[in-house]
Amino acid sequence: MTENFEQAWVLLGVGMIAVFAVLMLVVLIGNSLIIISNRFFQESLGLHNAGESLQESISPSKVAAIVAGIKRVTGGRGEVLDIKRKDK
Amino acid sequence: MEVLKQLYDMTALGEIGETPGVLLMILIGGVLLYLGIVKKYEPLLLVPIGFGIILANLPGGNMDVVPAELVELPEHRYMNLFEIASEYGIMNFIYYSLIKTGFLPPIIFMGVGALTDFGPMLRNLRLAFFGAAAQIGIFGVFFGAIALGFSPKEAGSLGIIGGADGPTAIYTTILLAPHLLGPIAIAAYSYMALVPVIVPLVAKRLMTKREFGINMKKQDNLFPPRYKIKNIKMVKIVFPIVLGIVVAILVPSSVPLLGMLLFGNLIKEIGAITSRLSEAATGPIMNTATIFLGLAVGATMTADVFLDLKTLGIIVGGFLAFAISIAGGILAVKVYNLFSKKKINPLVGATGLSAVPMASRVANELGLKYDSSNHLLQYCMASNISGVIGSAVAAGVLISILG
Repeated sequence: MTENFEQAWVLLGVGMIAVFAVLMLVVLIGNSLIIISNRFFQESLGLHNAGESLQESISPSKVAAIVAGIKRVTGGRGEVLDIKRKDK
Repeated sequence: MEVLKQLYDMTALGEIGETPGVLLMILIGGVLLYLGIVKKYEPLLLVPIGFGIILANLPGGNMDVVPAELVELPEHRYMNLFEIASEYGIMNFIYYSLIKTGFLPPIIFMGVGALTDFGPMLRNLRLAFFGAAAQIGIFGVFFGAIALGFSPKEAGSLGIIGGADGPTAIYTTILLAPHLLGPIAIAAYSYMALVPVIVPLVAKRLMTKREFGINMKKQDNLFPPRYKIKNIKMVKIVFPIVLGIVVAILVPSSVPLLGMLLFGNLIKEIGAITSRLSEAATGPIMNTATIFLGLAVGATMTADVFLDLKTLGIIVGGFLAFAISIAGGILAVKVYNLFSKKKINPLVGATGLSAVPMASRVANELGLKYDSSNHLLQYCMASNISGVIGSAVAAGVLISILG
């Protein structure tokens, strides 16, 4: 039993350090990619459409409001795939 | 009279009468079907699991999964799949080829990856750390499980329920304690379905009214993010590739889950040129995998396996793991707020466990009750998605140390 508890402490330490380390790497990798792409690859790869670029330009709170609205109206089944501005 | 006797012997009525546990298991299967169909709690999983339980427990149907010892041969060899199918029926063929090999959970993770958008996390990278704090329940509940008499491998399988991720829980249990697969899968999916109850329950006990009202948008305006992403498409494509390589080097045992998640995400983010792969991953492949996974998991739950004190321990321990994980995320935000000028709503920490996107939706609605302009969804999704990565890494640690 004591041996098992010792193993539990090891697991707690190793596990939480590993999870934090990997998510720290997620943050580092994410930030590095953002810095590199902002500096060298501001032009798009040509894979996205106009709708996606518009979606990126809308503030997160507006996107959140639209997503929450659609979820509520559709009872959680609907999903926002794209947001496009309607031409007048 | 002889004909009637032969007819009676052909049915399962006699055997059902002799084993009352069977009736109880059929009732449990019926309850799961009710929860899935009427209450709509995780219907895609609970319906196949519930029906699998009923099929497995009806005597004579040969649809129950037999213990691994029965398919083992001398010198660490196993019966081949044809022998298993012919000796123990098709459900054992499905279980030993698709589940016991650990094949289906990573396949489902591929579909989950293709449905996941890392965008909210990339826009709020700092919030990813709270996905780590919310894994504390996985390791915390390990102590209690050991005290209750679970072996370390069983305790690890029980703890992973705290990650709030069905495929991860099933994958870990297959490798560590396959005999507990049924109860652990049921507990994991039941608590995931109860996220709308458990998150508010824990949050209201740990958070003040002022903390519920922390408006993330206002905080963003006061303290703008350091980096604005100018080419999100490129970042989203390169991110899963680089992360996959790094994680494979650091925690190789998490690669079957995380690697497939990131692959699924990559084929989604590439866009039109791989859309057929992405549609297959999220549609036919994921749906087929879910059917076989649910039925086979249900078929492991026979009366002699399920009606055991350990099942009760798993149900209680699973809830504790879940609650501790949510509390861990909330407390981590509280500690962060002590040292940072930019305050974060602790609900963002509460969503650090997986259960995407339900946990985020619940936290968003909870936040709106205190401030109708406080839309937390995008922020909660950041920690929620990082929680998926975190729980897969935690599973990798459990498998590599205990496996």
